[in-house]
Amino acid sequence: MKLKLLFFASLRERFGFSYKEITLAKDVKSPEEFLQLMSLGAGEDWIKLLEDKNLYKVAINQNLASWRAVINDGDELAIFPPITGG
Amino acid sequence: MAIIIQEDSFSISKICAELSDKDNVGAIVSFSGHVREFSKDKQLKYLEIEHYPGMTEKALEDIEKKAMKNWDVADIRIVHRVGRLLPKDLIVGVIVSSMHRSNAFKACEFVIDFLKTDAPFWKKEISEDSENWVDERQEDIIKKTNWN
Repeated sequence: MKLKLLFFASLRERFGFSYKEITLAKDVKSPEEFLQLMSLGAGEDWIKLLEDKNLYKVAINQNLASWRAVINDGDELAIFPPITGG
Repeated sequence: MAIIIQEDSFSISKICAELSDKDNVGAIVSFSGHVREFSKDKQLKYLEIEHYPGMTEKALEDIEKKAMKNWDVADIRIVHRVGRLLPKDLIVGVIVSSMHRSNAFKACEFVIDFLKTDAPFWKKEISEDSENWVDERQEDIIKKTNWN
């Protein structure tokens, strides 16, 4: 399963990238499952993001979604802090 | 309807003039947001604004469409700046035209209230000795919720 992952603002700085195409070792059904999978072997930052996930927002294919929303192969998944424009 | 996201500054009065040129426009309401010089007692050097290209435009379009549906307005323009902004700089402009003032006032307030919570922009404040991503304000969430 492949995902287009985007980070913005503080998460972009923490992870050191804003966009990455990720090939997952196994399929995931939701952004929450994606975080659980990444936190298994990809380091401290992912474990912390999973723990703090309720502080962040998630968008699937550029629409705000919940952590338990359905995610499919090839989707664009963005994770970011609360919005502060205007 | 129009949405512009750009680094350069812009003129609210120029947009007001464009909208007033249309037929049957009796009222124009504009909101402009500016960079404050101080944040939590710290003198701000500059602000960095980041957005999510694609999703930000889509979110702003949705907000404009909802406002056009809810109130009888002639036109809505939203301009938001990104990149590095200095104290007092213009950040955002929302300009609404209508036949009568009431609809324009309400639609303008609706657009800026939803922009604050639904359009993906993020602000970072840079002062002499620190850099901080701005936290969301409870007041903004309450203002949006009050429209329901």
